[in-house]
Amino acid sequence: MLSPSLRLAILFALVIYFIILVILLKKHKLALRYTLLWIASGLVMLVLSIFPQLLNTVTNILGIEVQSNALFAILFFCILMILMSITVVISKQNENIKKLTQYTATLEKRIRDMEDDS
Amino acid sequence: MRTLVIIPAYNEQENIVNTVHDVEKHCPKVDYVVINDCSRDDTEKILREHDMNYISLPCNLGIGGGVQTGYRYANEHGYDIAIQFDGDGQHDARYLNALIDSIASNSADIAIGSRFIRKQGFQSTGFRRFGIGFLSGLIRLLCGVNVSDVTSGMRAVNKRFIGEYAKTYAQDYPEPEAIIYAAVHGAKIVEVPVEMRERQGGTSSINPLRSVYYMIKVSIAMVLARFSS
Repeated sequence: MLSPSLRLAILFALVIYFIILVILLKKHKLALRYTLLWIASGLVMLVLSIFPQLLNTVTNILGIEVQSNALFAILFFCILMILMSITVVISKQNENIKKLTQYTATLEKRIRDMEDDS
Repeated sequence: MRTLVIIPAYNEQENIVNTVHDVEKHCPKVDYVVINDCSRDDTEKILREHDMNYISLPCNLGIGGGVQTGYRYANEHGYDIAIQFDGDGQHDARYLNALIDSIASNSADIAIGSRFIRKQGFQSTGFRRFGIGFLSGLIRLLCGVNVSDVTSGMRAVNKRFIGEYAKTYAQDYPEPEAIIYAAVHGAKIVEVPVEMRERQGGTSSINPLRSVYYMIKVSIAMVLARFSS
């Protein structure tokens, strides 16, 4: 079982986590569509620290001996998903930057040609 | 047939004037555009002073993004044939007309200038030739297309593939991947014998230390390109 003090620490950390998340969202420093995974991961942690018996299922199926290790494994998976989503966003932005670069360069050439003609 | 020669250039202040003059001398009726990929040297200044036709990218996009800019330009201006021709002096403009002919006669969608057909001129180093042979085999395996000089940046493309490449063009090490993309989209690909020279000046963008990394990365990219479209 997760020790009560560990559960308390996780709950406390999660409260801070959600407060920071809400502050960032309110200040528009985070776009909501990129934070859904963050919120989902936080909720998973919240549910597991309130109902640690849910972890028993995971530990039994995966053959993990210590419950806290199962918790870390789940957390690790959440972080991987978040990282992957960030890479997706970066790739998309790369593509957009490329398109913009090509477009502005073409426009710059057209302006140059027009100036030469006049 | 309106033809455009696309000349990608990155830090080519020593070579670019000769390259463009070489093209103009051998193909006087053909248009060209230099794509200056945000060079840090005086390439842009030289292009401006010589009143050459050029596009200057505000950020460095790499060879793929640069060449694609040329294809977009060709597409916008309704060219029938586009030819990639490196700005570093390695390619020989004497062979441009052979490439144009194989597209203009409708015998191919894409014509690739290959050093390894007549085995004349600069043949690259043994290690690099081994890599090219490997990639060539991989392309044959993936698409059943025979191309010996898969990394050749000297290639002519017809109107249909100008449009395709304007939309989608591989970015990092695009030459082999572009062959696969074309083959998957039903292109008829031929090779035309050409001679190439060793670089005339400046430094190559491919560092020998990165070659192994390049091989792994480009192989993965090629397999993905084969099965993603």
